[in-house]
Amino acid sequence: MAELLFELGAEELPARFVVPALDDIEKNFKEQCVALNIKHGAIRRFGTPRRVALLVSDVAEMTDDVTREVQGPSLKAAFEADGTTPKVPAIKFAESVKLPVDQLKRVTTPKGEYLVATVEEKGRRTFELLSDVLNLCTRKINFAKQMRWGDVEQTFGRPLQWIVALLGTEVIPVTFSDVKSGRVTRGHRFLSPAPITLAKPADYEGALEKANVIADIEKRRALMVERIAAAAQKAGGTVLQDDALVEQVVNLVEQPSPVVGTFEERHLDLPPEVLIQEMKSHQRYFTLTDAKGKVLPKFIAVSNTPVKDEKLSIKGYERVLRARLTDGRFFFDEDRRSPLVDRLPKLHRRSWIDRLGSMAEKTDRIRALSVWLANAAGKAASLSTIERAATLCKADLNTGMVGEFPELQGVMGREYALHDQEPKEVALAIFEHYLPRGAGDGLPTQDAGAIIGLGDRLDSLCGLFGIGKKPTGAKDDFALRRAAITFIRIVTARGYRFSLGAAIDESLKLLEGKLVDVKKKQGEAPVREQLLEFFRGRLESTWREAHRADVVEAVLATGFDDLVAAQLRLEAISAYVSRPDFAALAATFKRVANIVEKQAKDVTRAPVDPSKLTDDPEKVLHAEVAAVSSAVLALVTADDYSGAMAKVVPLKPFVDAFFDKVMVMAEDQSLRENRVRLLMEIGGLFGNVADFSKIQAES
Amino acid sequence: MYFQDLLLTLQNHWAKLGCIVTQGYDLEVGAGTMAPSTFLHALGPEPWNVAYIQPSRRPADGRFGENPNRLFQHHQFQVLLKPAPKNVQELYLDSIKAFGIDPLEHDIRFVEDDWESPTLGASGLGWEVWCDGMEITQFTYFQKCGGYECKPVAAELTYGLERIAMYLQGVESVYDIEWVKGVKYREIFHENEVEMSKYALHESDAEQLEMLFKSYEAECKRLIVEKELPLPAYDFALKCSHAFNLLDARGAISVTDRAGYIKRVRDNAALCAEGYLKMRQKLGWPLCKTSWTVGEQLPMHEGKPASDMWKTFSFEKKEDKKEAPRG
Repeated sequence: MAELLFELGAEELPARFVVPALDDIEKNFKEQCVALNIKHGAIRRFGTPRRVALLVSDVAEMTDDVTREVQGPSLKAAFEADGTTPKVPAIKFAESVKLPVDQLKRVTTPKGEYLVATVEEKGRRTFELLSDVLNLCTRKINFAKQMRWGDVEQTFGRPLQWIVALLGTEVIPVTFSDVKSGRVTRGHRFLSPAPITLAKPADYEGALEKANVIADIEKRRALMVERIAAAAQKAGGTVLQDDALVEQVVNLVEQPSPVVGTFEERHLDLPPEVLIQEMKSHQRYFTLTDAKGKVLPKFIAVSNTPVKDEKLSIKGYERVLRARLTDGRFFFDEDRRSPLVDRLPKLHRRSWIDRLGSMAEKTDRIRALSVWLANAAGKAASLSTIERAATLCKADLNTGMVGEFPELQGVMGREYALHDQEPKEVALAIFEHYLPRGAGDGLPTQDAGAIIGLGDRLDSLCGLFGIGKKPTGAKDDFALRRAAITFIRIVTARGYRFSLGAAIDESLKLLEGKLVDVKKKQGEAPVREQLLEFFRGRLESTWREAHRADVVEAVLATGFDDLVAAQLRLEAISAYVSRPDFAALAATFKRVANIVEKQAKDVTRAPVDPSKLTDDPEKVLHAEVAAVSSAVLALVTADDYSGAMAKVVPLKPFVDAFFDKVMVMAEDQSLRENRVRLLMEIGGLFGNVADFSKIQAES
Repeated sequence: MYFQDLLLTLQNHWAKLGCIVTQGYDLEVGAGTMAPSTFLHALGPEPWNVAYIQPSRRPADGRFGENPNRLFQHHQFQVLLKPAPKNVQELYLDSIKAFGIDPLEHDIRFVEDDWESPTLGASGLGWEVWCDGMEITQFTYFQKCGGYECKPVAAELTYGLERIAMYLQGVESVYDIEWVKGVKYREIFHENEVEMSKYALHESDAEQLEMLFKSYEAECKRLIVEKELPLPAYDFALKCSHAFNLLDARGAISVTDRAGYIKRVRDNAALCAEGYLKMRQKLGWPLCKTSWTVGEQLPMHEGKPASDMWKTFSFEKKEDKKEAPRG
């Protein structure tokens, strides 16, 4: 057993390349080891801007001896008619496995009789095998962007500078472009420029630490977060949490060295979002806040070098930020000189998606669709806010600030609307129509923003599907999956009742002029059907995260045109799933559903004829169904699906007794039809909740 | 350090390493990259190592001399090293040490920044170099130029001279930079900024510019297609590009027309690139016969001297690969 170190050293890799490169190397290494039978122990990963490395413990120095059966030619081909005199194929095969012909076995397979040789393979030295493995690991890193350099043909994320490949104390030969593997690594570019010679893999982490490099990403992150927190505390503030920024910065430094800087207090009247964006987006500075979450005129920059005199570099960080804030202030002041309303004409010159017209046209559609949605969802009270906010919702795209920081769209719209003395609700709706922008965001808190957000997203969905740009496989350039999921979330969370199909129709109607010339692919469903199928897919995947697949299917089979009702039905059924008697319950009602489904085409829907009920169990069942049916329908109408379930579930023993004692498929057609109709009535009780034929009932 | 000393220090640094020091190109360009010394010489197999100061005009950035950081015309110190030396990062770091930035006193970092010029059909991968969070240099490994793959790859270093000088002199406005003792940037260039901004943003004649654009475009095509004169043709491609920038700054180009203009400029640049390559090929790639290199070089390319590469030069253009999706 020996330890293996494999390090690829490069000119500064983009921060976002480091972890994916490690993933690739580790995956390829493991796969190759399995394929070549190389046993190994735990793998540790290291990564900094200048290196990616694996440290593998307990790598076997030899692969195990293995015995394999090798199949040769068929007996017919191998021997003369006498079955013993070998022909050429038998002799060749024997040679290839290095055995005399008479030591070959004969086996019978479904395809006939064949010669088989038992071959014993001696274990091989892994050292030679690992050379191939590591060569392959070096070549097969799927960087998001590959580059060439100098005269080199091969590509890598950035120019490769060195390779360390050590098995125990020996260097495994690995080559890439002009670089040959060795035992020499490098420390911190500036603090420890001397080459570092490694005697053995175990020395790696310690040697780098001495050379001012914390190579383990998790350790470095923990250390960085700890150092940042300490610096923040010393500066009398708290770091504004930003995990994405941490992930980025941790792979921009080898020795995280936070320093605290300040900016002029006069800039604090800029919206906090602007301040935060100015600090993080170009500069990757962390924002400091006070105990109440208010932004302080201070920041933390994480240097890669613990410099001789912090004051000097802090002055530098402050200068850059000062210039940026001055720029930001310039935009903020400049933007506020003309009201948002005056920026609307410019939206005509701003294209959204080529065939779908300008931003001005999109804005018009959003407004019309939002008005339709508000009316449909019974939120007409917000109409005036909605119309105004929808008109202005994209106006901030033409401001200097949003031009500089596209992330601030909506935020600036809100700020500028407030400055223009627009009603507060309008300003809020402009901001909220983008919510949620990401995982950390809540949903819109008011109807206006929520409904405009729905209109915006539905217009994008319908427009892009309409011109054939729907997502396929991993490709979803316009984030339409997220748009649909967010649409569903907002509708259900806010309890908006309207027909999804009708909303799609309305949106497509508004887009009509844009979609006329679109060529349809052969055999493609109409856009409306594609969209409904797409929504169905989103519901299915979202619901499956917390609900049983068959329950999801049962609810979807009953329809989802009213998204809120669909959600409530799902919850009602799911509440029963955990009950111990659910399986039995499901089995009974599934049986009802199956019979109804099968007979539906032969038996017309009609009321049960009480005079034709002959047996007691069916009479009893009919009475029980009649007793609850109007209550169940009332409960369903009132969206109380749990209540409806609670009324229907007690029917189970009567249904069971009916199935036990009564022949549904009676000889007499009128009796049979009457019994099926009785089951249809029960099915009808459920029909509005879920399709029980989809439920997987264990027997 | 005076602005002038910064220029001289950089020139001397790269001259000592074997670069030729030339003058910036004498036509209007938006960046040092557009000068023939970079755009044309980055093409083909021949070595090329050059350093020059390029006054760069960006009409849309004109601020009438009122903004302390933005200029109609700024100065770039441009270095092109082809093939890119293996130790190009070290050579670069030596250059910033030469003008007084010690990496042990400042946070120097190489942060991912890829570059693409749609008007030149050129792209490259590399970094912006940060000094205490401020970008002081654009560091690019050319991958493509005029639509052609760069083989060998050149390293391009573009120093933002005004920014560096402001930093070194500790001044907040570009106009306070001291060019030489007692003479400030304001005295030399302020009026230039005022007038050029006035012209570009208010006074230019869009109709006239449009006409010029068309004439330059036609002349570029004529020279390259009919006369096989890629070098004068490229001059007209540059004039074309500047006319476009002026039109753009004037707000005379609508969003929908913009892409069309850019394509026309790019097509011209691509024609010039092709013409230049053919011309150099006809001449037998003369610089390949020299042993002119800077810094550490890979001695051989696949067992052959790097300068043999020209024998396999291909005029085929490869399609751009999109960034590979992950997961």
